[in-house]
Amino acid sequence: MINGTGPSGSVNESAIEAFGLGRKYRRGWALQDCSFRLPAGRICGLVGPNGAGKTTLMGITANLLAPTTGVLRVFGSVPESAEAGRRTAFLAQEKPLFRRFTVAETLRLGRELNPGWDQKAAEDIVRAGNVPFDAKVGTLSGGQRSRVAFALAFGKRPDLLLLDEPMSDLDPLVRHELMGTVMAEAAEHGTTVLMSSHMLSELEDVCDYLLVVAGGGLRLAGEVDELLAAHTLITGAHPGEGTPPALAGHTIVESRTSGRQVTALIRPQGPLHGDWHTDTPRLEELLLAYLRSQQAPPLITRSAQVDDRAVAQAVAA
Amino acid sequence: MSTMTPATPARAHAHTRTGRGLRLSGLNWLVWRQHRAGFWTILALTAAAIALMGYQRGQMMHYLDSYGWPHPKPQWLDHFSSTGQLQSVSMTLGFIPVLLGVFLGAPLLAGDLENGTAKLVTTQAVSRVRWLATKLGVTALVIVVGTSALSAGFGWWWGPVKTESSILDWTSGAAFDNTGPVPVALTLFTVIGGIAIGMLLRRVLLSMVVTFGFAVAVQLIWSFFRLSLGHVVTITTHTGGMAEPPALPAAAHEMDQSFVTASGKLYGYGTCMHGSTPKAIQACLDGKGIVGWSVKYLPMSQMSSMQWLGTSILLALTAAITVFIFLWGRKRLV
Repeated sequence: MINGTGPSGSVNESAIEAFGLGRKYRRGWALQDCSFRLPAGRICGLVGPNGAGKTTLMGITANLLAPTTGVLRVFGSVPESAEAGRRTAFLAQEKPLFRRFTVAETLRLGRELNPGWDQKAAEDIVRAGNVPFDAKVGTLSGGQRSRVAFALAFGKRPDLLLLDEPMSDLDPLVRHELMGTVMAEAAEHGTTVLMSSHMLSELEDVCDYLLVVAGGGLRLAGEVDELLAAHTLITGAHPGEGTPPALAGHTIVESRTSGRQVTALIRPQGPLHGDWHTDTPRLEELLLAYLRSQQAPPLITRSAQVDDRAVAQAVAA
Repeated sequence: MSTMTPATPARAHAHTRTGRGLRLSGLNWLVWRQHRAGFWTILALTAAAIALMGYQRGQMMHYLDSYGWPHPKPQWLDHFSSTGQLQSVSMTLGFIPVLLGVFLGAPLLAGDLENGTAKLVTTQAVSRVRWLATKLGVTALVIVVGTSALSAGFGWWWGPVKTESSILDWTSGAAFDNTGPVPVALTLFTVIGGIAIGMLLRRVLLSMVVTFGFAVAVQLIWSFFRLSLGHVVTITTHTGGMAEPPALPAAAHEMDQSFVTASGKLYGYGTCMHGSTPKAIQACLDGKGIVGWSVKYLPMSQMSSMQWLGTSILLALTAAITVFIFLWGRKRLV
């Protein structure tokens, strides 16, 4: 996670900052009171159940939607600025392309509309899948079309790459290869990647940062390592009813009792007393626990926090 | 700022060479490429129609010359055979605003919104306003070129016989809406309306249906409204009601013909016609104090000013819709 060499500059630079972000549709709030920071140079997973507000957050970042409340900044500029538009690439979930364009024409679209276009990078991605350049996009298979859409996003040479459910229609082989491309690109150019999925397993191996949204709000945000280290999975015997007294004082994310055995995911707030078997949770366990228990307080690590005053200001505006 | 890779724009890849003379770039290229089938169809059909009209005019002039045009013998109309062609071509031209509104205007933005390609374009490094402006601009340019050429072609063909209202009456849609600036403005207005409908409805088929209704309504309202663009001229006589009504200038469009009294009171031209003898009629006319005729008409000399007045109204409406498209689309077009 060393990103001092990338174009995004210093470790302290923020790729995305959100202050009290909210978006309301006719049917209600899709995203509410969302404040976080994504440091530049990270590969960040955006995880949550379907309809949790992932696409809404992506859309606001890509300047496809305007927030109802709050402010979001991309490298310090608002999404509608030319600066943000130039530095951000977005791959929408449905991977829209012009069906009557050939592959070559699709890449030309990228070249004509983006000043920093990298034709070679784009062509390499297309070539790696043996997609013919003179084929019409409408005649390609789903995987090939996704590859062309990826090439278009990468050819832009963005500083922030937004991928909305990028792997949903790819076979495992292509998925693995394109993930490798994402990783290599990010490593080489210091690109910040925000990648959404409702399947954590897709992201577990590639992400070093995590944003979890559920029910329109932010549940977890921060470095994967720190998030894991902040939690302990405990197992032990507890004969009585309710919460074991030994856990008082710790934040209990989720606890389950089966017979005399208690399993709980806690955020220890100090040394743990009693006879417990402790374990570091896996990422998936952590995520499921947070998605299941909506009342558990969200955890935003230091690097993912934004200034409270800025939030208050943005919400008031 | 990104200072990575010395951005190699990798000039013209072998696969992307088109080799045509004019090389478009940027958004112009994109808009032309996306809609080129429609644009080429419009331009090709325009060229074909111009060729047809040129040929027809040649035939017509050959006939007219044999009657000594520009001052043909009075019986020249007896064997004149271009009337049917003029009328059928003008009728076909009359469908252009509706056709272009439905097939070019309605899908122009609705297609991008329905297929998601609006997201694709607006997330490149171009602003939404520029994309919209290019789309509307290129489309408007093609329409203006096509319809101006057709208007000029048809006007050129019809010109030698335009004062003969038995061939085409200049106040009819067939003549008025297909010459001068009117076809350009009517088509632009209908198409921009279709674009706005497509932007709001976001579905190609639905917008085409609604645009069809809109375009037909525009034609109906326009044909109802057409004559009120003129300034009606009144001619009166004082030679008595039994005399012939006054002669109007060539190709003038008569709006109303009535008897008039010395005080200016009007009576319908049927007044007193129930009299069986001229004497009885005269007595009846005298009894009402009728001294002559009053005829209201639109002279053909007003045609051009009426067309320009109508055009400016249509263009103002077109501009208003365009502003609306930009205001709405700037925020919500994805």
